[in-house]
Amino acid sequence: MAFLLYPGFNQRIQMSYMLRDLEKKLNKLKMIDEDVKAKTIESLQRYAEEGRDVKSELEKLLDSFIISPESMDPYGIVWKLEHIVNTWEDRFEEDVMKLCSKADNMKVKTLTNLVEVARGIHYIYRVVRHYYLLGKKTSNIYLILQMQMLMPQIMEIAEAYHYASYAFSQGQPIGDGIGVLAVAKLAYGKEKKTYEIAKDTIVQEMDFEGRKLIIVRAVGPGGTVGRPGEGVKKVVEAEGDKVKLIITIDAGLKLEGEDSGKVIEGVGVAIGGTGVDKYKIEEIAKNKGIPLYAIVIYESIVEAITPMRESIAKSVDKILEKVKQTILEKVDKDYTVIVAGIGNSVGIGVT
Amino acid sequence: MFPTKPPANKFAQPLTFLLCFNCKTENSRPFKEGDYVFLEVEEKCPKCGSNKMLVTGIYVKEKQEKKKEV
Ligand SMILES: [Zn+2]
Repeated sequence: MAFLLYPGFNQRIQMSYMLRDLEKKLNKLKMIDEDVKAKTIESLQRYAEEGRDVKSELEKLLDSFIISPESMDPYGIVWKLEHIVNTWEDRFEEDVMKLCSKADNMKVKTLTNLVEVARGIHYIYRVVRHYYLLGKKTSNIYLILQMQMLMPQIMEIAEAYHYASYAFSQGQPIGDGIGVLAVAKLAYGKEKKTYEIAKDTIVQEMDFEGRKLIIVRAVGPGGTVGRPGEGVKKVVEAEGDKVKLIITIDAGLKLEGEDSGKVIEGVGVAIGGTGVDKYKIEEIAKNKGIPLYAIVIYESIVEAITPMRESIAKSVDKILEKVKQTILEKVDKDYTVIVAGIGNSVGIGVT
Repeated sequence: MFPTKPPANKFAQPLTFLLCFNCKTENSRPFKEGDYVFLEVEEKCPKCGSNKMLVTGIYVKEKQEKKKEV
């Protein structure tokens, strides 16, 4: 029994236990990755022409990458980032469109989202596999320990991607769409002028108690987030000095223990993503001295990308109550207010 | 490595909520592909038999969700 006292022996046993645990989770990740891929291929195949090799073309898309701009000289980096991200989005969508020639425009957008989900889960799998193999190869217990500590959260996100692939393949609204849903309901049944202002982004102009209400949102029911930054910027430029308030509505990350669907108010621009849209709205609002109000709906990261939950969907009335109240309090008659519903428009029609 | 098939229908499916234009009652049914919020559908209202309804919501009922673990 003396070998048990040998220094480092316990550690070796512990490491092999941890590696086994990691391997189990890695297997599960692989299974999710394969299932999402199969689901994506099946969805793409339905809209692709006969005889196209959907599988190999999807794999090409899954391996594609984006290189962020050089930040050594940060001047103008937002515009470079915008250019790169737009190029990426356009190319991704074009590739999906070429592959699925039988799909209409809206469906192409949702299918593009689905491919992005497949790419996301594939990336998670690759990274976890990398650290697992690296830890095993170098017998680095600290690397393995860190991986093991992160795994519960990674698995939760992986499951969310898995669920999200089902939602996107069928075009179901997701939690992130709550901002779009709120403004869709705000515009429903009103007399208005609707037009496209930027790629996948529409504007709806209407009257609200003597104020000009301008809604900016992604065009649905296809899955897209549009370009709300560009949209709001163009509206402000077109309206001159009439805009007295910009309200952004978006899903926000809640902390554990907080209620999903809780509506809170704040100041600033509520938009996630690359930061380009946020920057554009802040920039023009600062130049024109327009106050920025934000309404955030609490969700977990899982809820944001999976089919919308009841508690989130039910928050719409509360959001609109706050929006209307704020407009009446802060914007005088004959002036303009911009309400931007931020989020993915999958499954939400244009009203 | 022992990959296994994931159990089918592991994820809770959302319901589509429909509002009748005629009698204003709301009812729900399982989500069908092609449904989206604010879509006007030609489906028979279970109450008055009118043929025009509006999709007012698509979401996962919370209680249904709790039973099925995601
Ligand atoms: Zn009826």
